[in-house]
Parts: sequence; C-alpha cells; structure tokens
Amino acid sequence: MTRYLIRRLISVIPTLVGVTIVIFMFLRLIPGDPAVAMLGEHAATENVERIREQLGLNRPLFLDREALAEGDLPQFVNSQYLLYLGRLFQGDMGTSIHRRVPINETLKERFPATAELALISIIIGAVVGVLAGIISAARRNSIIDTTTMFGSLAGVSMPIYWLGLMLIMLFAVGLKWLPAGGRLDPAIKLETITNLYVVDSLLTGNMEALKDSLKHLVLPAVALATHPMSIIARMTRSSMLEVLQQDYIRTAHAKGLRERVVLMRHALKNAFLPVITIIGLQTGVLLAGAILTETIFSWPGIGKWVYDAILARDYPIVQGGTLLIAIIFVGANLLVDLSYAFLDPRIHYE
Amino acid sequence: MSDAPLTPDSQGAAVGFRDFAMGRHRSLWGDAWHRLISSATGRVGLALVVFLVLGAVLSHFFWEYNPKTDLDYSLKLKPPNLTRTEEIDSIHPFGTDRLGRDVFRRVVHGGWNSLRVGLVAVGISLIIGGLLGLLAGFYESMPLGSVAKFILYGGMGLLFGAAIAWLSRQTYPLFLFPILAGIAFYWENLWRGKPQRRLAFGLVGLVLGGLPGLFAGPLSALVCGLVGLVGGLTLSMSLSGTLVSNIIMRVMDIILAFPGILLAIAIVAMLGPGLDKGMIAIGFVGIPVYARLVRASVLSVIQKEYVTAGLSVGVGQGRILFRHIVPNTLSPIIVQSTMGLASAILWAGALGFLGLGAIPPEAEWGAMLGESYKFLTSGAWWAVVFPGVAIMLSVLGFNLLGDGLRDALDPQLQM
Repeated sequence: MTRYLIRRLISVIPTLVGVTIVIFMFLRLIPGDPAVAMLGEHAATENVERIREQLGLNRPLFLDREALAEGDLPQFVNSQYLLYLGRLFQGDMGTSIHRRVPINETLKERFPATAELALISIIIGAVVGVLAGIISAARRNSIIDTTTMFGSLAGVSMPIYWLGLMLIMLFAVGLKWLPAGGRLDPAIKLETITNLYVVDSLLTGNMEALKDSLKHLVLPAVALATHPMSIIARMTRSSMLEVLQQDYIRTAHAKGLRERVVLMRHALKNAFLPVITIIGLQTGVLLAGAILTETIFSWPGIGKWVYDAILARDYPIVQGGTLLIAIIFVGANLLVDLSYAFLDPRIHYE
Repeated sequence: MSDAPLTPDSQGAAVGFRDFAMGRHRSLWGDAWHRLISSATGRVGLALVVFLVLGAVLSHFFWEYNPKTDLDYSLKLKPPNLTRTEEIDSIHPFGTDRLGRDVFRRVVHGGWNSLRVGLVAVGISLIIGGLLGLLAGFYESMPLGSVAKFILYGGMGLLFGAAIAWLSRQTYPLFLFPILAGIAFYWENLWRGKPQRRLAFGLVGLVLGGLPGLFAGPLSALVCGLVGLVGGLTLSMSLSGTLVSNIIMRVMDIILAFPGILLAIAIVAMLGPGLDKGMIAIGFVGIPVYARLVRASVLSVIQKEYVTAGLSVGVGQGRILFRHIVPNTLSPIIVQSTMGLASAILWAGALGFLGLGAIPPEAEWGAMLGESYKFLTSGAWWAVVFPGVAIMLSVLGFNLLGDGLRDALDPQLQM
C-alpha cells in the first residue's frame, strides 16, 4: 500500500515536468518578444536588451552547450526553462506584462473566487446528481427515470455559457431576483481574510455580506454544476443498476429490509466507486469550465483572468493560470486514484 | 440423406430450420442498424442529426448567403415576426441581430460551419489518436517484427547520437550511436540478460560519448560520457514494443493533464483565431481520448482466440492488425466518435463564443452567441436563444445517436 502510494506519487512527476515543458514552450512559441511587449513597440534597443537580460531571455531555451565546452557547469544548466522551473519552485510565477503585478499576488485574490464557485458547484452537482441517479435506478423505466435521464442528456448537451445567459435573462433581467454578475455588491464592505467571501462573511459575522455573496453565487454555480450533475446522475444510475442485480441485494430484500436501507446501505456503498471517480474528474473539468462561466457572470476568478489575458496577450498570466489549473487537474486525478485504495479494500496493489 | 454431402442447404432441409436460420439472414451491420432504429433514443438522435446535417448541407449549396454583405441597420435588433408589417417588410422568424441580419438565416447557415468544425476535429483526433492507440496496443502485446525492431533500435541510437552530437558540437556521434544500435540489434542474444552485456555496451557508450566530448572540453566529455553510458545501457537491454507503447501513452498522459477546453483555448491563442485553427485545436485535444480507447480495445481483442489462431497458422502481423483486430475494435470507436462529435460541436461553440473561433461576419453558432449576448440586457433575447438552441439540438442529437449506437453495437451491454 505504502509502496503503491509512493509509486503513484512518483509517476506524477514526469507528467508535471511534461506539463511545465508544454506551458513553457507555449509561451516561447507565441510570436512576439515579451521584452518588447513590456516596453512597447518604440522602446530603445538597449532598454529591450536590458529587460531581456533581466528576464533571462538571452539565455538558451534548455541547455547551454557553449558553457559546457568552457567547463562552466552552472551556466550549462542556466537556461530559460530551468530558470522558469527554478522560479516556479520558489513560488514565483512571473509578472503580468500590462499591469506589472506579480502573478502570485493576483492569484491570491483570484484563486479563492474560482475555488468558492467550483466547490459550491461540485457540491450541488454531486448531491443532486447522486440523488437523481439513485431515484432513477430504483424506479427503473418509470416516468421519473425517463425524465431524469432525458434531463441529464439535455444537461450534457447544453453549452454552459448559453445556459448561463438564459439564467441571467430569466432570473436577473426578467424576474430581477438575483444579480447578473460579480461576487458582491460594491456597496457592501467585507473584510477579506481567506477571500472565500462566504467563509469571510461567516467569520466576521457579516450577515448582509453572507446573504449577498450567496445570492451572487446561485446563478453561476447552477450553470457550472449542470454538466457534472448530469454526468454524475447518469453514472450513478448505471452503476446502481449493475449493483442492484447482485445476489446480496436480493438477499437484503428477502430479509425484509426496507427499500431505503437496501438502496442506501447495500447498493449505494458498492456502487459508489465509479461515482467517486466521476466526481473527482469532474472537479478538474469544472475548474477549466469556469473560464466560460466566469466570463459570462463577470466572476473575478482565474478563468476570467486567463481569458482576459489571452485577449490582451498577457502571456505570463495565461502561463500561470494554465499551470495552476493543470496542476489541480493532475492532483484531482491522483486523489481519485488514491481514494480507491481506501474506499475499496478488495483492491490490492503490489 | 446419409450419402448426400452435408451442405448448409441439405442440413437445413433435413432438420427443418432452413427458413429460420437462413431465410432472414442479416449481416452484423444490418442487425445493428435494425437495433438502432428500433430504439427510441437511436431514432430521435438519428432524426435530429439527419435534419441538422441536411439543413446545413442544403442551405450551404442551395440558399445563397454572403455574410460579408449582409447588413441592414434599419432592421437592427427586431423581434421575431411571422407576417409582414408596414414597419418591417420582411419575415424574420427568429428576429434580427445587432446588424439587422436575419437570425434564422444565420442559424441555418451557421450549421454548416459548426458541424464542419465538429467533423474535421473528430477526424483529426480519430486518425492520429487511433493510429497511435493501434500502435501502442498492438506492440504492447505482440513481439516486434524484425523491421519494427530495427527501426526502434535505430531510432534509439539516433536519439542518443543526436544528443551527444549537439552537446559536443561534432557530427560523427550522430553516426556512431546508430552503428552501436545496429550491433545491439544484430547480436541481440549475445550475453542476453547477463551483466557482461550491460558492461560491454555501457563502456562502449561511455567511450563513444566521452571521446567526442573531449574535443569540446573536459566538462563536455563528462556530460557526453554520461549520456553515452545511459545510451549504451539502454541499447543493451532488449528493447520491446512496451517501450513504444510507454512513450506514446506517457505523451498522451501529458496532453490529458490539461483540461480540454483550456488547452484548446491556449492552442488557438497560439495559432490565432479562425475556424480552421479551432478545428486543429479541438482535434488535437481529442487525440489522447481516441488513443486510449483504441489501445484498450486492441489489448482486449488481441487476446481473443481468433488472433492466436491467425498467428499460429502464420498470418502476417500487418494482416492480423488490419483484417482481424481493427474491424473488431470498430464499435467502441464508432460510439466514441459520435459522442466526440457532440463535444467537438460544444467546444467549437465555446471557442466561437470567446471570439477565438470563426472570425466575425462568418455565421457560426458560438460566434453568433458571443456577438449578441451583450444585448440580452436590452431585451433582445432572440439573437441569443436560437443559436444556443441550435447548438443544444445538434449536441443532443449526436449524444442520443451515440447512446443508441452503443446499445445497437453491443447487445450484451445491459444499460
């Protein structure tokens, strides 16, 4: 078990190195010189050179064979990629070209926004999805089942940005029940501690802010939760159907156990493994999907930040945001894998 | 009866089940088709897909539309109307957008672009991913043929040779290492698995790498020697197809480590916006999905008795691969491609919506949404609702069709 854990953790390293190489190359392959982008088209050549030197752009991409021939080992590895990697390990993701703000700083404000939205969405998606899946499996081929399954199919087929727009149209523009975008009414002052507004308002006991931030969360969270909810519902249903055919379910029924107990205790527990996988994988997908949802709801998270950066050609931000999302994605997959070992004692790893 | 030769005919007549067994013979695909159209899901999906594809194709060829000249400010953002009025002298069942363009017409024409993106993108991922998966799955469980092995050894030799040639700034290591690889390939069984082999090849590699490095400098010699040592040790092992499979699948893992839509956006940001670039981006992102799927199905098919039987009577590897394995992996691929079309259309719409897909006057569903959503607050819902419904219907259609196909192609699967 411990050996498996260690092996699985090590197996992530090549993937992460690959991810950093891809992201690094992505920045280098984009036409245009970052130094020129920082200083503007008409900057003096020596200034551009100075910035290039500061950013390490005059170094070779991966390894310096000239330095190697001169016997200079530190210079040999002193390349753009390794500089980038070294800075990453120090937690330095670079600086935004246009706003000159370190990416870390912005990330500290932006990431909690996305995390809050994604967490609430996955909770909604998992709870509603699992419940819907159980009910349709228990009432197989009934009207409830057909409706749920058709609804979930429509859910996966819906472009989330379009669903978001429809929700805004209905609840924000039409009925005026909920706000159309943002995280908090600018009129409300909230002392930020964790930058998760719901948590912050609870911590400071600011009920007005709590109510308002929850109100702002509803529409984007529902829009973002629709895809995972549908996928989770379908997965739960098919996994439950498989388990419900097992002998021990018949035995449980024959013992005279109540339907609810059979479903929840005997069937769901055994049907949960694939569902956990899907929930874990969807959490990663959700973070990426946030790029669309956040754009529509002007939610100040990583997604909208990266999107704006793409339009403004502010590539260090794109690089940092993409890397963060990719790392979380890989981490979520890893956690799903590891959770197997704990959830299902039958699975043995040598 | 006893002296007549046993043909299917006479046998059938004798037992009396001829009509039952032979009369209504259906092929595998015919059977699947019957199952598909007899299920409600498959029928609805097929109908939707046929309707949308026909609409897109017919309108593209028979209903002229030039997005560049389509502009009429007097009709700006008019709500849907089904009859002519004094104010508006034309019929716009879906209303008009911010440039006074008929939304209905653009939705119908947008289908051509949106569906095309989906089709080309899936084509790209299917061809590249499918081939990679086929290679990975096949060589993972089959011994390499001598040609394939030669290529593998040569490639590894070239790789190490190139690394050393680059580091030492000499040309000849580029040739030395393939020669070493050739030796390793030719005397593959010499001291097989013994430490002598490792020692010999490691030392030769060390020397072949270190010597050219000496010309550049002592440190170069050290580093090149190390690379050469690793190269020699690698070549001393008996390289097999697992290596090919591992390399392919690790690269696929890296692509999979990025959430799809984000990678697609990044690629388009790199290539620049445009419908064709969107196709490439979405297609690229889908490659690992198909590679994994095809590899998994090849691995399961290759264990079947008919493959073993074919191999044992001396059928060539290529023939085994394309006549026996590929046809039997088709059904999951067909299902996945259909579902893949659905998600490709969805992603194409997302790219268009973000302004990274089709370039503006072009009619494309996602781009239409992106252009008009800012007018939602002023009440112009029609310019947003209808393109979205079009995306949803086509995605729904392909998803339903995929569901139906899965049930039809795999009758054992109980869903």
